[in-house]
Amino acid sequence: MAEVPLAETPVVLFRRPRWRTLRRWLFCPPVIILALLLLGAVFAPQLARYDPLTPSPGEKLQPPSARHWFGTDPYGMDIFSRVLYATRTDLTVAVLSVLLGIAAGIPLGALAGYLGGWVDEALTRLTEVMQAFPQILFAMAVMAALGNNLVNLVLILAFLNVPVYLKMVRSVTLPLRESDFVLAARCAGHTTGSLVVRHIIPNTLVPVFSQFSLSCSYAVQMVAGLSFIGLGVKIPHPEWGSMISLGANYIVFGMWWPALFPGLATFLAAFALHDLGQRLRRSLLREAEG
Amino acid sequence: MRSPWLGPLLYILRRAAMIFLVLLGVCTVTFIVTRLLGNPVYLLVGQQANKEILDNMIHQMGLDRPLYEQYLRYLWAVARGDLGMSRYTFRPVLEDIRLRLPATFELVTAAMWLIVFGGVPLGVLAAARPRGIIARFAQFLSQLGVSMPSFWVGLLLIYFFFFRLHWFPAPLGRLADQIAAPPRVTGLLLVDSLLARDHVAFRSALGHLVLPAVTLALGSVPATLQITRTTLLQVLASDYIRTARAYGMPARAIYFRYALKNVVVPLITVLAMTFGYLMSGTVLVETVFAWPGLGLYAVDAMNHFDYEPIVGVVLLSALFYALAYLVADLVSFAVDPRIRAQ
Repeated sequence: MAEVPLAETPVVLFRRPRWRTLRRWLFCPPVIILALLLLGAVFAPQLARYDPLTPSPGEKLQPPSARHWFGTDPYGMDIFSRVLYATRTDLTVAVLSVLLGIAAGIPLGALAGYLGGWVDEALTRLTEVMQAFPQILFAMAVMAALGNNLVNLVLILAFLNVPVYLKMVRSVTLPLRESDFVLAARCAGHTTGSLVVRHIIPNTLVPVFSQFSLSCSYAVQMVAGLSFIGLGVKIPHPEWGSMISLGANYIVFGMWWPALFPGLATFLAAFALHDLGQRLRRSLLREAEG
Repeated sequence: MRSPWLGPLLYILRRAAMIFLVLLGVCTVTFIVTRLLGNPVYLLVGQQANKEILDNMIHQMGLDRPLYEQYLRYLWAVARGDLGMSRYTFRPVLEDIRLRLPATFELVTAAMWLIVFGGVPLGVLAAARPRGIIARFAQFLSQLGVSMPSFWVGLLLIYFFFFRLHWFPAPLGRLADQIAAPPRVTGLLLVDSLLARDHVAFRSALGHLVLPAVTLALGSVPATLQITRTTLLQVLASDYIRTARAYGMPARAIYFRYALKNVVVPLITVLAMTFGYLMSGTVLVETVFAWPGLGLYAVDAMNHFDYEPIVGVVLLSALFYALAYLVADLVSFAVDPRIRAQ
């Protein structure tokens, strides 16, 4: 789960993609996995044969069968239905938190890179402080102090994502600041604010896009990990991490299904998002080299 | 004339000052989160306490004093190691941390060993034969490592190696129940049992350590592996390695005398980062294996609505992280003449 340190961020300006390249992306394995997960989430009510929240005391901890494809959990709830519904919670929380982090990180990074001076110095120091925090423990501390709920979970994960994008956008902005078109825009009478918004930020979006997928992979695992220890969602609410925690106590007795399937879903989502991000990065690097 | 010690000394002082600033920032953030955004009184007495009790508590905790005074008091308390009291162990947080730190330290150290002695050779071999079977295995391992949730991996390992194969003991703590712990010297069971020449305890401690250490290492080994692989690939593609090859220098000399040296500095930085990460990553792994370390302490505290132990563990982890970076800087400084020249 550790983040691999980023190499140089390539500067690639945005271009409208051709249909051929688009088709190649649409049919690569991670995109297919993500599409299946999304379909499962959207059509959960149609696909699930049981209500994800209704316990069935007579059917506790049933192994997978034709009736319950993924078996049942300690409350007798159908794991297949719950895994489907959980996709909604997990992907929403992960994607939303990364988007919020980006929304704050991009302007801050662009300002730090463009203005330089004490603004840059202060923001860089702040990111250093943020990165000294152990993320899971920090989330625990904040939620212990401010309240244990989903909204706070999203906000904390967003907060933890800000430094990543701040640093990335800053590093892309630095060479842009010296470029001719920025000089031209300044000569044309743009104020700093409009110049950053109109000319700097759009050109930082391509690398941000490939990092977005990697961050989401990490966020999915963070959400599951934090709810595994009881942060964010309350127990009956379908969520992968809390479902794994329900199954965790039964694994030593050889009942593998309550923990296996939600974990498999988490793994697939994280894997697909990470793989997609890596593919995007590689294609960006190729593009940057020519 | 300049003393030869002046340069390194100034460098160390500058790095130490940076670390100090980072730690001050960390304390400030925890102060803001716990005292400004959250209300510690509610956390301590619960929402339903009456006005009188609340006012009493507020006065007792000094929350009616001016903010800057509260802040300075907080910093002073942290600097003295006063991290508050735990409300469910009824001991000072620092005392609890001192009791539990060795367990986490032992686990993290074991995981670091696996990462260094597994990840680095794998990365080197993967770079030496980029299309070979080892390179593919390394790639596969990295993919799994970054996308498998560690706590889930731990559960799968427990299922196979405890329930199916019986290779390892039940995932309940550091030592089997029926075995007496060796006399506490360092708190690290492996070391203490060796000192006491207690082979039974040593075997049990080692057996309990393997699965959590592997679980913890798997998530963090990709970073080490990849930095070794990519740095080495870059170095091997460089002009001076090509020249060395053209001179007919044996491959072993090229690798060990020239190429691997360049991997050391980025590798040390990544290892410091990994160490800092593991201090946080142990929370989940310790929960899965009922490992009585700092992570489990924080989780227990959270379940008892006790926030001071969590903040204490956060501060300690940040300290470890900062120290790891300081050590990484100093080692890089000692190893790399290019940094010294600056």
